Amino acid sequence: MSGTDVENLLRQLAPQVLGAVVRRYGNFDTAEDAVQEALLAAATQWPNDGIPDNSKGWLITVAARRLTDLLRSEQARRRREDTVARWELPKQQADPIDSSADSDDTLILLFMCCHPALSAPAQIALTLRAVGGLTTAEVARAFLVSEATMTRRITRAKQQIKDSGIPFRLPARAERVERLGVVLHVLYLIFTEGYAATAGPSLHRVELSTEAIRLTRMVHKVLPDDGEVAGLLALMLLTDARRAARTNDTGELVPLAEQDRSLWNGDYIAEGVELITAALPRGIPGPYQLQAAIAAIHDEAPSAEETDWPQIKALYELLLEMSDNPIVALNHAVAVAMADGPAAGLARVATLAGDKQLAEDHRLYAVRAHLLEMTGDTAAARNAYLAAARRATNLPQQRYLNRRAAMLDNAPS
Amino acid sequence: MKYMILSYASQQDYDGMAGRASDLPAWSPDDFAAMASFMQAFNAELAESGELVETRALAAPVHTRRLGASNGVPFVTDGPYAETQEVLAGYWIVECDSFDRATEIASRLAACPAPEHVVANAYADVRPIMESSAEID
Repeated sequence: MSGTDVENLLRQLAPQVLGAVVRRYGNFDTAEDAVQEALLAAATQWPNDGIPDNSKGWLITVAARRLTDLLRSEQARRRREDTVARWELPKQQADPIDSSADSDDTLILLFMCCHPALSAPAQIALTLRAVGGLTTAEVARAFLVSEATMTRRITRAKQQIKDSGIPFRLPARAERVERLGVVLHVLYLIFTEGYAATAGPSLHRVELSTEAIRLTRMVHKVLPDDGEVAGLLALMLLTDARRAARTNDTGELVPLAEQDRSLWNGDYIAEGVELITAALPRGIPGPYQLQAAIAAIHDEAPSAEETDWPQIKALYELLLEMSDNPIVALNHAVAVAMADGPAAGLARVATLAGDKQLAEDHRLYAVRAHLLEMTGDTAAARNAYLAAARRATNLPQQRYLNRRAAMLDNAPS
Repeated sequence: MKYMILSYASQQDYDGMAGRASDLPAWSPDDFAAMASFMQAFNAELAESGELVETRALAAPVHTRRLGASNGVPFVTDGPYAETQEVLAGYWIVECDSFDRATEIASRLAACPAPEHVVANAYADVRPIMESSAEID
C-alpha cells in the first residue's frame, strides 16, 4: 500500500480513534495529542510493515498507551509543583437515555471542536486537527501561518474545551439544532477559505475545500435526513465543480458568465443536483439549501444567457427573507438585472449603496460597473470598474477589474 | 464500558455510622435512615436505567485480615489499618457509554444526606475497569 493510501485511511480513522479513546478515558485535550502521536507512528510504520488487520484497534491501543504516559508525566509534574488540578463538573446533566441512542463519535467531536465558547479560527483549527486528522504543521500551512502560531491556537482551544468541562456526548436535544448550525458554519468557512485562496505553493498545501467536502460528507452520512447538511454538501460540490474554470492560465479570475463550462466537474454537479433535489421537498429549505438550489441552476445552464434568472431571483428573495446579508442583496440585484433588465438591477444597487457594510465594498462597484456596461453607458461603467479596483483587496480581483476598465477604453463610445 | 465507583471511610466513620462517637460525632438514627433511603433510591434508579452491574458495601475496616510476607516469613495481621485511615468502604460497578457518564453517576453521590462533618469532605473515585482494546473499539 502506498503512503497516500495509508494517509487516507488514517485520516478516515482519526475521529473514530479519538472518539473511542475520549469516550473511554476522558481527557479530550491530552487524548487528542496521544491520537496524533499514534497516527504519526502508523504513518511511518505502515507503509513499510503493512497495515495491521485491525488497524483501528492498533491505533486505539497505541493511543491509549501514549495517553497513559502523557497523563503520568502531567500528574507527576503537577505533584512536583504542588498544584492540584481541580475542575468542576458541568451543572447541567443530560438525560442518560439520550446519551447513547444516536451518538456518533465523529459528530460528537465536531460539536466539541465547534463549541460556541471558541473563536471561529480556533474552531476551524481544532476541527481540522481533531476530526480531520491533519497535523498542526499541515493546518498551519493551509492557513499560511507559522507552526508555532497554530500550535498556540490549538493548545488554547483545547484548554478552553477542558475548562468548559463539557462531557463527551451530543449536546442536549433542545440545543442540538443551534449547535449543528455552528458546525455547518465552521465547515462552510473551511470550504470558502480553500475556495478563496487560489494562489500559494500547492505541494504541501492541504486542499481545504476538499477537506471541507470530506468532513461534510461524514456529517451527511451520520445525519442523512437533515436538509441543511445535505444542502451544504450540495452547495460545496456545485461550487467546487467550477474550480478548473474559475481562473485562466495566468491565474486571473474568470467570472461565471465567461467561464468555459466544459471544464466544470460533471460528477460533482450530478451529485450536488441529486442531493439538493432530494432535500428540497422535505420541508422549508434553509439558507444552505437555497444557495445550493441557486448554484444548481447555474451549473445546469448551458450558458449565462440561457440561465433561469427569474427562478434565481425568486430564490434570492427567499434567502433575503432569512438574513439581511448585504452580499445576498447584491446577488439579488444581479438576478433582477438579468431577469428584468439592467435598469431594474441598477435601481436595486442604488438602494444598496446606502448600506454601511456595502458602501465601500468593491463588489458593489463591480456589480454597478457590469450593469452599466449592459446598459451601454461605457464611460460610467469604466469609472465604476476603476472605483471597484481601488477598493478590491486581493491582486487577482484588482487585475480583473482594471482589465475590464481597460477593455472599455478601446470600446467606441 | 465498565467503571468502578469507589467510596472510602475510616474505622472512625464506621463507628459514627454505627452510632458510636469517637473523635468524630455519632450519626443520629435520622441521619442513618436518610442515607439508607438515598442509597436505596440511587441504586434502584441505576438498576432501572440498566447501568448498574453490581454494588456492595464492605464490612468495617476492623474486620480486615491481611496476608503477606516479611523478609520471606509469611504473616497474617488482623485489622492492619489505623483508626483514621480511609479505606475502601463500598463500590458500584456501572456499565455506561463513557467515562464522563460514569463520572456523572458518581457525582450524584454528593447529594447523599449525611452529618455535616461527613458531607464537608466526602469524595469518591471513578476508575475504568480493564477491558481489551477490542472492547473499546
